[in-house]
Amino acid sequence: MIGLRGLEVEAGGFVVGPLDLDVTAGEYGVLLGPSGAGKTLVLEAVAGVRRIRAGRVLIDGDDVTSLAPERRRVGLVFQDGLLFPHLDVAHNVAYGARRRGGVGRPTLGSDAGRLAELAEKAGITRLLNRKPATLSGGERQRVALARALAARPRVLLLDEPLSAVDAEAREELQDVLRRVSRAERLTVLHVTHDRAEAFALADRCALLVGGALRQTGAPCEVLRRPADEAVARFLGARNILAATRADDDARVAVLSAGVRLRAAEPLSSALATVVVRPENVQVWRAGDAPPAASVLHGRVVRLALQGGHVLISVDTPARFEALVPERVAERLGLTVGAGVDITVEPEAVHVLPRR
Amino acid sequence: MRGRRPSLFAALCAVAGAVLVAFVLLPAASMVVGAGAGLLGDALRQDDVRRSLWLTLVAALIATAAAFVVGVPLAYLLARRDFAGKRLVEGVIDLPIVFPHTAAGIALLTVYGSEGFMGRLLAPLGLRFTETVAGIVLAMLFVSLPFLVDTAREAFALVDERYEKVARTLGSSPGGAFARVTFPLAWRGVFAGAVLMWGRGISEFGAVVILAYNPKVISVLTFERFEGFGLRAAQPPAVLIVIVAFVVFVVLRTVLLPRRRRSRKGVA
Repeated sequence: MIGLRGLEVEAGGFVVGPLDLDVTAGEYGVLLGPSGAGKTLVLEAVAGVRRIRAGRVLIDGDDVTSLAPERRRVGLVFQDGLLFPHLDVAHNVAYGARRRGGVGRPTLGSDAGRLAELAEKAGITRLLNRKPATLSGGERQRVALARALAARPRVLLLDEPLSAVDAEAREELQDVLRRVSRAERLTVLHVTHDRAEAFALADRCALLVGGALRQTGAPCEVLRRPADEAVARFLGARNILAATRADDDARVAVLSAGVRLRAAEPLSSALATVVVRPENVQVWRAGDAPPAASVLHGRVVRLALQGGHVLISVDTPARFEALVPERVAERLGLTVGAGVDITVEPEAVHVLPRR
Repeated sequence: MRGRRPSLFAALCAVAGAVLVAFVLLPAASMVVGAGAGLLGDALRQDDVRRSLWLTLVAALIATAAAFVVGVPLAYLLARRDFAGKRLVEGVIDLPIVFPHTAAGIALLTVYGSEGFMGRLLAPLGLRFTETVAGIVLAMLFVSLPFLVDTAREAFALVDERYEKVARTLGSSPGGAFARVTFPLAWRGVFAGAVLMWGRGISEFGAVVILAYNPKVISVLTFERFEGFGLRAAQPPAVLIVIVAFVVFVVLRTVLLPRRRRSRKGVA
């Protein structure tokens, strides 16, 4: 397991923390946050390659705060793999290879069985004689993973390991990471800014924004119930609206221009922020909306293509954004200026107290 | 690209380069031609010229080796660490470049001469720096040290520091990471600096002549022959050292440069 207790790291005047975080044994933890949030600093602090300002780092219950990186037994994989360019793949993998129990250093030949097994797991058997310069981004990351695992780490630290590879290789690598981490029963701390990557891999997510840990939880929980506006915004909840609690019904949030939106739970404070994910906003032709808790009438003000979906901005007059499949947008015959109805299920309305 | 005419800019660069190459080549070629093959052969048969040539090459090599031992760790430190007074240290290392070399010789004499602080300290150990090979090495070391340290520092700075971080997590100590990763990636740059330093050392005259007129290095021998017997007598030893240094430079660059070009992408 990995435990951070009041961890503070500083780089160039930017301070991360104090952070308290636990990744339990065998868990795949993802530290998710925008660029510049301080994720890599945290990872390097756990690895021991960056000096910390305060706090403690625990690995498998041992306080390793004052241990040198080479004595912590952590595996570190950076974004670009960072294979040693002067060594071929086999020697890269064998660089830190340890015998079972972590004692002694085998040569390439003496622990060939283990290295071959790792090469097989990482899918790099046919690459062993190649130099790093001849490998693709995905291949480099596989080799970097095998190299880290060959050192029999207690925990695996991954710094944006998928961001430098193309989409196809990224999916393959995700499979490799998931498979290998399970097979080796590894405790993993994976840092990324990519929400999709986090949700594809994480048992648990921790949200780091502006150097502060804002929320931890299961990926779906974090996605549905962001702890604050910053987390909601980062996770792509495009509808973040100021609201007041209706006098006549505590479950109704009153938005600008008196637009009323029903939530599943009563609003806990008079002033609130309402968060609705765009994929939870349904769009209908004007007058076609079924009777629902919240039917809002508005006009389309913008249409934007996003992959196979269309992002629709609707003025109700409170501005809502809805994400619908392209075929749905086509079926509705949406154009800018068209009148539409939108509906939002009360369960999709997340309410944050506002001070 | 085949069949395309070079751009005007490329042509201008080529012309500028040609002017510079000619500027260096003309005096060197004139000296070689002026000396003639016969005179060069005669010079090689003269004991004092052969001794002087050997002394010059070896003294410069010893100075380079000494600088390697102390300069490479310093270069690494300057490339990797920020510390109070770092700019001052870098300035001090570069000082010999701007020091007039005769003044450097005088400065060394005041410290390492028989009346100097270090001279008196080291004399009981049998180390004397006036009129000795040790003095020649000392003078060469002083004036040429920056070439090794500065070049090695740049070579280390080009190696991504994260390689060392990865090596540390894979079980290497700081020294192990340096030996197994950083130095193997930077060695061409470090050796390029060593070659530059060696080349600068063999050409040194001003500082050497103040500390050790004897035994004579090739630059001092050339000067003595010029003073005593004129231009024609001075040319053969001068030409010899130029030819030897040129051959060594070309051979080393041939060995180092192709790989350096290829490695630029992977290392930086």
